[in-house]
Amino acid sequence: MTEQVEVDLSSFSPKGDVLVIAEHILGELQPVTLELLGAGRILSDKMERKLKCLVMGYNLGDIPQKLVEYGADEVYVADHEELEKYRTLPYRRVVCDFLESQSEPPHTCLLGSTTTGRDLAPRIAAHFDTGLTADCTELDIGPYEHKSKVDPTKIGLYPNCLYAIRPSFGESLKARILGPWKNPQMATTRPGVMTPLKPDSKRKGKIERIAVNLKPEDHRLVVVETVREIAKGVKLTEADVIVAGGYGLGTADGFDVLKDLAATFENSALGASRKVVDLGWIPYQHQVGQTGKTVRPKLYIACGISGAIQHRVGMSKSGTIIAINKDPDSPIFKFAHHGIVGDIYQIIPEMIKQFKEIQSGRGVKEVVGSH
Amino acid sequence: MSGSLNIFVLVKQVPDQGSKAGLNPDGTIDRAKAKRMLNPFDRYALQAALHAKKCYGGRVTAISMGPPPAVEVLLETLEHGVDEAFLLSDRRLAASDTLATAYALFRTVSYVGKPDLVFCGLQTTDGDTAQVGPQLAERMGLPQITYCEDFSIEDNKVHGRRIIEGGYQKVVSEMPLLVTVANSYHPLEYKSFRGAWKVRRLARNEEELKKFIHTIDLDIVKADPDRTGLKGSPTIVAATEKVGELGGSCKMHEGQSVETLVQSVIKESQLEQFFVA
Repeated sequence: MTEQVEVDLSSFSPKGDVLVIAEHILGELQPVTLELLGAGRILSDKMERKLKCLVMGYNLGDIPQKLVEYGADEVYVADHEELEKYRTLPYRRVVCDFLESQSEPPHTCLLGSTTTGRDLAPRIAAHFDTGLTADCTELDIGPYEHKSKVDPTKIGLYPNCLYAIRPSFGESLKARILGPWKNPQMATTRPGVMTPLKPDSKRKGKIERIAVNLKPEDHRLVVVETVREIAKGVKLTEADVIVAGGYGLGTADGFDVLKDLAATFENSALGASRKVVDLGWIPYQHQVGQTGKTVRPKLYIACGISGAIQHRVGMSKSGTIIAINKDPDSPIFKFAHHGIVGDIYQIIPEMIKQFKEIQSGRGVKEVVGSH
Repeated sequence: MSGSLNIFVLVKQVPDQGSKAGLNPDGTIDRAKAKRMLNPFDRYALQAALHAKKCYGGRVTAISMGPPPAVEVLLETLEHGVDEAFLLSDRRLAASDTLATAYALFRTVSYVGKPDLVFCGLQTTDGDTAQVGPQLAERMGLPQITYCEDFSIEDNKVHGRRIIEGGYQKVVSEMPLLVTVANSYHPLEYKSFRGAWKVRRLARNEEELKKFIHTIDLDIVKADPDRTGLKGSPTIVAATEKVGELGGSCKMHEGQSVETLVQSVIKESQLEQFFVA
């Protein structure tokens, strides 16, 4: 079968810039936005396009300037009292109006895989009937030739496609997901994965205010209160040491033992695999991995975690990884730095005991030798 | 207080994460071979829907999209106390991405009725995108509360608490409303005695079963087949690659006793620097 299909590519525009939608909570710029600017800069340079950034909020102060310093060529600012706190419908309205006002839709539109980005991005994608890939771990620009005849209108060679790369279901595969047929090509990326640029206070960029025209139906939901629980323990993404538990703990009570172990370390936090969060052994906020948090502590102790790809992408950049698991064939031993095959409930209490001995010995070092 | 809430809960049958059966070489899933289960996140959505019915009155309808075996998860929802269920099943839905899925579900929801509340799981364990809920809300033109971990209904408004980074937000929304339920919400209660009994009875009588679980297709819900399946999906999986083995230099510690084993790890990984002073 060498059936030739004539394709009109004029409807597909290879033009368009890269747009990052910025995120902040009560005026505090989220790190993922700076990471997206770093990633977006690489994509836009590769295509020789501009990097634009849209930021919404109220009394944004020096945030637009900061976005320029971190790599944006053009910053569009929607500053309005009703945008002070994130709400789906007003933010959605501003983004949709902004995109519709552009003579050329952006080539690529990026958001963070945060509770905000994952709330907003699908609304935008559905509004414009465009593709969206969630929780990417890599982004790139490259060519793609579509040959499948299922939909002849899609056949063709597309020189500049957004490669949205994410781990896929299954242990050891990652999928490259594309949607070059319609701009903007959208993706969200996990916080902590992309690398921000070094801020350059001399960088020049255009900062432009845009009009905000909300409609009555955008106010069907109101925010009564925003609470940040900063005092409630160390944040997982900022901990130096993470002690994480998985299904190998056998029971929810296993986290009590891990809590004792974590308490022996400075600036530590508890982490968990998805399976045990699904089982309700520990709240979602502790989940590390593809659908949880991406962390890079100095020390990561994985207890009873098999190390599936979904978990690995969230912690593989940790400084030192120690794995304890009773199954010697666990994938975790393929990328941990130190491995112990054995029973968690024998090893961890012994660890705590020895740690405490070392700690109590610190004040009286000369005694240590006499043990 | 509204007299009677029309509550929808969207559920999906997913391959069992614990089982490796049914993974194709290209990274897609052979759903016929994989062991199947109710998406774990949907258990929280189901609990939320049943809780809303119990506290505020009304009716719960479960909706799913998938091949015929997905009837299993709808039976499970009936066992928990759901009143009626619909399964959208159509070969033309194969290979739908999240946008195409949301469109098909939008058509299905419109066919089934006018909900006051639509509950979805936060995400599925096979797709992990968390996109279908908000995409459906966009199609329906509804406000949404995603990452919802608790809610109550007062004066016809939903008071919800949603997770945000390092904290939470309290919101109040009008109905109709779509809610995606986080897994920090209350776990699903045990199957109701009545529900389990009902399902056991239905399982023996196909005619009777059809009164509670309706299998429908794209034509019935008046969906445009070109907007579903591969054709209606703006994204495709263009390539999959093996994730390279990392490091491979794991130092395995072995010892005569647990004590020596732990000593060896502490020494070689220089753990001392991390201890509480």
